[in-house]
Amino acid sequence: MATLKIINLHAEVEGIEILRGVDLEIKGGQTHAIMGPNGTGKSTLASVVMGHPKYTVTEGEILLDGKNVLEMSVDERSRAGLFLGMQAPSEVPGVTNSDFIKTAMNARLEEGKNISLFKFIREYDRAVEDLKMSEDLPHRYLNQGFSGGEKKRNEILQMKMLKPSIAILDEIDSGLDVDALKIVGENVTAMKNKDLGLLLITHYQRLLEYIEADFVHVMMKGKIVKSGDISLMKKIDQDGYDWIKEELGIDDERVFVKEEEQKVMLGTCATKEALDL
Amino acid sequence: MKMQYQKQANIKKKEISEIERLSEGLEDYIVLQDGHIVTKKVSSAFDDLMILTYDEALQSYPALFNELVNVKHPSSDAYQYNFDECNSGLLLYLPKKKRISKPLHIFYVATTEEFTHNTFLYLEQESELNYFEHLFSDAVGSYSYVSNAIVHEAANLTYGALSNLGKDVASYVYRNASVDRYGISKYSLADVGDAIQLMYQTINLNGEYASGTSKTIAITSGVQEARYETLLEHNALYSEGYIEHYGVANNESALIFEGIGQINKGMKQSIARQQNHGIVLGEKARLDANPLLLIDEYDVIASHGAAIGKIDDDELYYLMSRGLTEKAAQRLIINGFLSPVMSLLETDTLKNMFLKRVEEKTL
Repeated sequence: MATLKIINLHAEVEGIEILRGVDLEIKGGQTHAIMGPNGTGKSTLASVVMGHPKYTVTEGEILLDGKNVLEMSVDERSRAGLFLGMQAPSEVPGVTNSDFIKTAMNARLEEGKNISLFKFIREYDRAVEDLKMSEDLPHRYLNQGFSGGEKKRNEILQMKMLKPSIAILDEIDSGLDVDALKIVGENVTAMKNKDLGLLLITHYQRLLEYIEADFVHVMMKGKIVKSGDISLMKKIDQDGYDWIKEELGIDDERVFVKEEEQKVMLGTCATKEALDL
Repeated sequence: MKMQYQKQANIKKKEISEIERLSEGLEDYIVLQDGHIVTKKVSSAFDDLMILTYDEALQSYPALFNELVNVKHPSSDAYQYNFDECNSGLLLYLPKKKRISKPLHIFYVATTEEFTHNTFLYLEQESELNYFEHLFSDAVGSYSYVSNAIVHEAANLTYGALSNLGKDVASYVYRNASVDRYGISKYSLADVGDAIQLMYQTINLNGEYASGTSKTIAITSGVQEARYETLLEHNALYSEGYIEHYGVANNESALIFEGIGQINKGMKQSIARQQNHGIVLGEKARLDANPLLLIDEYDVIASHGAAIGKIDDDELYYLMSRGLTEKAAQRLIINGFLSPVMSLLETDTLKNMFLKRVEEKTL
């Protein structure tokens, strides 16, 4: 049974501190949910645990079964049993979904050993069917041209195939319609077992109607400010977050404010004048 | 044109066994070594296609060579040299309305210091040919290769090329096509060699609704320098030209793509499109793309673009987050990037050779 321990975690991006002392412990068999308004550091926490190179950890520890996760590279973390279902998965042209997942599964075996092709195809086809995805999925390029919902379902499909011991699902519900959310919810629930520790990150309680959570945490200003059971989620659903802010004396719950995008005008290029012809 | 065939008594064993290995599983292929056809394994599907060396062809088809001499060509010394000094020549002539969809593979092997070859593809009206060439040399010396294609009305040429020339080779490769009304010529060129390379491609769209596509894929490594120029010239109304360049530059190599879509005055409703994609792997590597449009007409559709950069960090992170090592993730991304050429390689042997060379050059 795996245990992920996050102790007093501080992390920054481009000199701005986003995580300001997160403490959290997830054990196999438990399902945790982190809620909170936008810009409070929820997704950053997920990225830091997985090891996104953009973030620098300045203080604190992450331990997986006592092993120091911060010393591991991204791929080592994955092979150690961590999984992150991403909010915005990359599109990789030219790499098919089945090639990718097969390579990922082989990476978990000893060098030189490969997963049996028959077993792989059977398992993959079943996962595609469970998630009600289109049959040509294995031959399509990784996430290329996928709708938001398809991308999210593809994340769950990868989780099914890789069988992690600790899985973090970062806003897996955003961009999903009700039917797709139901499919995702059923599939994640079906994967629950005493060995899987699950962390759901969401701003809506909607997801938690499909995946039951044992613990609910609220994040504000880069920290977990309140923890409780499912009744906390219900109270947030009714009353919003303001009462928590009031209780804790927080004015602005955000850790960073998104700057407005700067628009650039494109000039004309390669006109005859510019090329001096 | 002079024909100087060198008599090569001792055929080098090494190259031939390599070609034997690569041709494994191919149904129709010809091996041409230093001007001599040493292997010819061609099925009855190609009965309508005349396959002749130049000295045979000069006797039976002298008129065709007049057309060859008059083909619009660059006024470069290298082209002229190939023309004057060629010691190896091959004519493929396909008569009217003969359509062959199976690919014909031709291996051009050089074992001598100087290999100067000229190929002439002649497609009569409404004919169709699928031609695939392999340029191969491990010798120390120069490798000069020119191919001219004449694609007549409504004829269709599919042209594939895989070149793998050794690091001691200095090579000049020029491929040209002249396309008539409703004709189609589609070039897909891949270079995985280590040679100092100059590769030019021109497609002249000479008839209305003529269409030309040129895709080039190149990988440079070590201290290699390579330059690929593609020119699509629109000399007729309603003609369509497409240029695509894909490149990977590793180590300290320099890779240059120059694409030119040229629409001449009055050639209304022509389409010229061009895209360049590049991955720079080596810290000291250099990859330039110059996507040019030279347009002398208002009523046209044209676009050009270039995207050059290192491997996308987010893609790398995404693949690694599923347990792939950095190297494995990088390999998967590069192979994916080069996938447009993989689909052209017919047999597993050729695919594996290509992948092996890609891996060697991108490590």
